[in-house]
Formats: sequence, C-alpha cells, structure tokens
Amino acid sequence: MIDFFEVIRRAINGAYCAEQDFAMKILVPKLRGVIKKYGIRYDPDTAVPSDDNLADRVFEAGVELCAEVGCYCRDTSRIIRFSRDEIREALRDAPANPVFGEGRDRKAMTARRPESAEAPYCFVGAGGAISSAEEVYVRLVEGYGRNPLIDSVTCPTLTKINGMEVVAGSPLELLACIRSVELGRAALRRAQRPGLPIMNSIATAVTAAGKIAGSAFGLRDSDGWVIGFTSPLQVPFERLNEVAYVLARGGQVVGETGEAMGGYAGGPEGIAVTNVAYHILAILILRSSAHLTFPMDFRYGCNTSWEIMWPINVSTQAICRNSHLPLLNLTYVGAGPVTDMCLYEIAAAKVGRVASGGNIEFGGVAKAITLDHFTPMEPKFASEVAHAVAGMTRAEANDIVKKLVPKYRDRLPNPPKGKKFQEAYDWDSIEPCQEYVDLYGRIKDELTGYGLKFK
Amino acid sequence: MTDKKELLSKLQLAIIEGDAEEAKQAAQRCLDAGISPMAAVETGLRDGLRIVGEKFELLEVYLPEMIMSAEAGNAAMEVLEPALAAAGQIATSPGTVVIGTAKGDIHTIGKDILSMLLKLAGFKVYDLGEDVAATTFMEEARKLKADIIAISALMTSTMPGQRDVINLLKDVGQRDKYAVMVGGAPVTQEWADKIGADAYSETAAGGVMHALRLADREAGRNR
Repeated sequence: MIDFFEVIRRAINGAYCAEQDFAMKILVPKLRGVIKKYGIRYDPDTAVPSDDNLADRVFEAGVELCAEVGCYCRDTSRIIRFSRDEIREALRDAPANPVFGEGRDRKAMTARRPESAEAPYCFVGAGGAISSAEEVYVRLVEGYGRNPLIDSVTCPTLTKINGMEVVAGSPLELLACIRSVELGRAALRRAQRPGLPIMNSIATAVTAAGKIAGSAFGLRDSDGWVIGFTSPLQVPFERLNEVAYVLARGGQVVGETGEAMGGYAGGPEGIAVTNVAYHILAILILRSSAHLTFPMDFRYGCNTSWEIMWPINVSTQAICRNSHLPLLNLTYVGAGPVTDMCLYEIAAAKVGRVASGGNIEFGGVAKAITLDHFTPMEPKFASEVAHAVAGMTRAEANDIVKKLVPKYRDRLPNPPKGKKFQEAYDWDSIEPCQEYVDLYGRIKDELTGYGLKFK
Repeated sequence: MTDKKELLSKLQLAIIEGDAEEAKQAAQRCLDAGISPMAAVETGLRDGLRIVGEKFELLEVYLPEMIMSAEAGNAAMEVLEPALAAAGQIATSPGTVVIGTAKGDIHTIGKDILSMLLKLAGFKVYDLGEDVAATTFMEEARKLKADIIAISALMTSTMPGQRDVINLLKDVGQRDKYAVMVGGAPVTQEWADKIGADAYSETAAGGVMHALRLADREAGRNR
C-alpha cells in the first residue's frame, strides 16, 4: 500500500479543482454514473436486503467511485487520487483484527460477515453527546464501564470547564480536552475497568491542537483514535495532522465517515455507494485500523428512519463481504432516555446493522445534541441487542425491523427528549430509576417475542 | 393564451429539471411571445424554484438538484433581467442574506442546504463559507446591505461564534441593522434566546419561513 508521505504529496500536488466543482462536476455525475452502471436501485419495501449480488455490485460501484473521484483537500484545493491497482492493494494490505485496550480489557476487533454468529465488537457510551458538568461526565463514564458487554468506550463532550463555556480554538478547548482525558481515565478506574480503551479520542476536541495536547494527559496507543472525513469526500489538513501524530506515536486510527442523505450524495443509492468509497479512503488516507460510519437522514438529524436503513445495511453488507478492515456502525437516535421510542430506534438500527455484518458503536441519544439527555442504559441496551442478533439471518432481521420502525416513524419529526441523566439515574449509586428498569424489561420481552435471543 | 401558458410551463419545467441552457432559451421564447418579463419571473422562474424546494422536503430531489435548479434560474435571469430593466421593472426579492458557518467550524452541509433553499425562495444569498470570523460576517453584511445574517454551527464549542457575531454588532451599534438567524445540530431555541438571536429553526425549511418573516420585518423597518 502506498505510504502516508505519498498521500500528503498528492494532497499538495494533486490536480487543482474549485471546491464547488469537485462536488458538482466530479462527484455528482460520477456517482450517478456508477449507480446506473451497476444497476443499484433502492427498494422502499426492504430495510435489510439479503441479496449478495446487490451487495457486491454496491462494493464495485464504490471502488469505481473512489478511483474516479478521489478525495478533496480543502486546504490546497487539490484532489488526492488513487489508481484501481492502489485501491486493490490497499484492500489487500488493510489491517485485520486490530487489538485495542490493556490488561483484562485487551481485545481484538474483527471484520464480521453478514449473518455471522460471532458477537459484534461493542464500542459504546456517549457518542460524543454533550454533558453539562464534570461530575455528570465522570458518573456517565463510570456507568458505561459497568456494562459487561462493553469493549471500548465513547466518552461525552465537556461543554464547560471551571464554569466557562468551551470555545473552539481557544485555550479553553485545549484545557477542556486535557480535563476530558483525565476524567475519562479516572472514571474507568472507578468502574474497575482501567484497561478499557477510550476509542473516540477526545469528543471535546475540535482542533488537532486540542486533540494532540489532550492526548498527552492519558490517552494510550492502544486506545484507538477516531479521526473523520468531511462531507462530501473531503479531508482538511487538521485531520491529516492528527493522522500524522497518531502514526508517529504508534496508535491506531478509527476512520470516521458520515454522509448526509439529502446532501451531495443524494438518496439511498448514493449513500450506499459513497459509504464504500469512504471505507477505501479511510484505509488509504486516514491509515485506519477500523472504519466507523454513520450516514445520517438530514431531515431528522438521526439515522433510524426507514429510508436510511436500506443504504446503511446494504453498504455494511457490501463492505463486510469484500473487505477485512473491521466496520463499526454508529447509531444516532431521535428520542431521549426513558422513552419507548429511544429503545425501539436502537433495536431497529442494531438488528439490521449487526445481521448485515457490522460491529457497533453506540450512541447518540436524543441526536447527541440535548444536554445531559443520555444515560448508561441506552448503550447497555444497544450492546445486549447486538449480542442477541449475532447469528440471525438478514431475512429474519428484515422482518423485525419492519415491525419496529412503524412504532416510532411518525414521531421522528418531533421525538420526545425524555429524561436527563440526573432524572433517570440515582446520583450516588449510578443506578437507573425503577421506571427505566421496568420499561427496559418490557421492551426486551417484546424483542424476545420477535426472536431476539438475549444472553 | 394557451401558448403563453405553455411557454411559462416550459420555463418552469426547465428550472425544475435544472437545465440551464433550456431555461435560458425558454425565457427568451417567453419574451418573444410577448409575455411580460415580470410574469416570466414570477410564474415561470419563481414557481419552478418553489416546486424544487417542496420536492426537497419530500426527498424527491437532493442538494445537487437544488443547485442545478438555482443555476438554471440564474441563466433565465440573464435573459429576463435586461428586459425587466427596459420595462422599468425590478425583480422583487424577499431580501439579502449573508450566510456562513461559525468561527472554528468547518462543517458545511446544513449551511449549504439552507443556502440553496433560500435561493429557491428568491433571496439574494451570499455564502461566506465555513470557519467565518464575526468581523467577516459584519463587514460583508454591511458591504452587501444584507437584511439577514445567518450563522450555522455543528458543534457545541463553535456555537459561541454565533454569540460573538451578535455581541460584535451590539458593540459597534449595528445590532438593529440586521436580523440574525442561528441554526445547526446542537443549536436550540433556548440558546437562540440566550444570545439574543432573532430566529432559530431546527430544519432548513423552517429556516426559510423565518427568513421570509424577518425579511418582511426588515423591509417594514426600512419603509
């Protein structure tokens, strides 16, 4: 596989293109072309297709899109392009079975296949959701660490430090990044899981400087470092700087991508094909040891709508059938804690994505934008559902998703925010309130009736 | 009469299909047939753009189609604008919007979609791009005689950039010159109220409704 210096060279010396021309004159027509050429058609009646041929055509379309379009570097207005041979080589040489964590919590993440009976890797926690105070942050992360199915944790975002609002690019961001790492590690020690990897790097970080400075206060090479592309198919120097840093210290990158349905990639077919192209670019450009993806439905700010299920599941199958780089699917739900909608959304998303071959990241509760509206219960539920789905066929998963989505689809435009962590949990014991325990049990019973086999 | 209706429909269709060349020719055919340039703008062009905006809401078309329709609209205006001027008429616009993403924020997709929907609704839109400083918002708004400043933020730590624009306008005594709209995934009505923004919307379509209301208010002030 070509090395990172060559990637940087192409970011600096690649073909010049105006930003809008890259999107409208290169990406959009090429994407439409490959969708047509490979006969990819959205099926509005199916959430989890079982068609291997369709999955493989989506993958081939994604490979062609990647080769024809490349990735745009905003800082230089240049296109980073790769030949088909370089892409094949990258898929051949991509890391397999990366190991994360320390001591008893050291574990390999594997590339699952559709309908695999192997339990998915569970990267769960806050999904970068926003917390109001350090005390809330610590209790949440300790709560996440108590989940026996967690393999790595995603910590929240700190919105304040010493009572001051965190401002991106200011010293407050840098200090809040340092504080985030210190608090995350302390909380995991309190949960008796000191070796658990913190995989979302530092959610509080906006700049590379914030992430790099914060990392010096407790992040480990074994943690896994989430670094993301920008839509559509773009990468700024800020992110490449982070890659350069992580590679130099021997860490492992988790390449993050999240295209918006309704944006430049268009509808379900475009999202599916673009997701594959991102997977390849995550190997080549971000030098990823795993790919984390979260296509979003722009209308609702989450990815549990009926229309977004097909592209996520079909591209998950495409990737999991044709690449050995592990894939994680991140779910954002519309509703908040202690609501049936939140749990139905999680179940619908995870049933389809795990049966399609994905590992999981969870989560973004209440769209991850409502202060303190997330608790340790939702990631616990997501990981239990994910384990219960292992071994399920895609056809069975499709039937279940078809039953679940109608339970909440009418509420997506205005989902209930539910309760704050402080309302849903006992502050001292970090245990959920009885109302949530009862609701959790009721929904699990319902899912058991649909065929999920909770361990 | 039917011919004129048909010609206007063809202009509308060219806009909906985002065919700039056809839109230009259809606009010329309207003028050649004696249709007033104002009618061509209002019935052919604007209605076409409005329909595209509605289709986006239903996910029948996406951002690229909106961009192509807006470009087709611009192409038609190249033909219609001189005719309007010759007739002593001016194409009305609800207002002028300066839009961008807050300082420190490099996310553009939400801003791009609102920007296109505003164009389809007839606004003059000046997109300042991403990572825009408060001073740039203020200076560009002054230069372009904007009615509205629209600021997007996708991260909690870039939301203060929205407040910085409002505070800067207050500090230099220009707050009442512009309506300020804020949006973006983590932005809430509570935040908008706290920083003294004039409008907030969770959705792009809602943003257009607010922009129309604010532009009307600004026009009322200037009357």
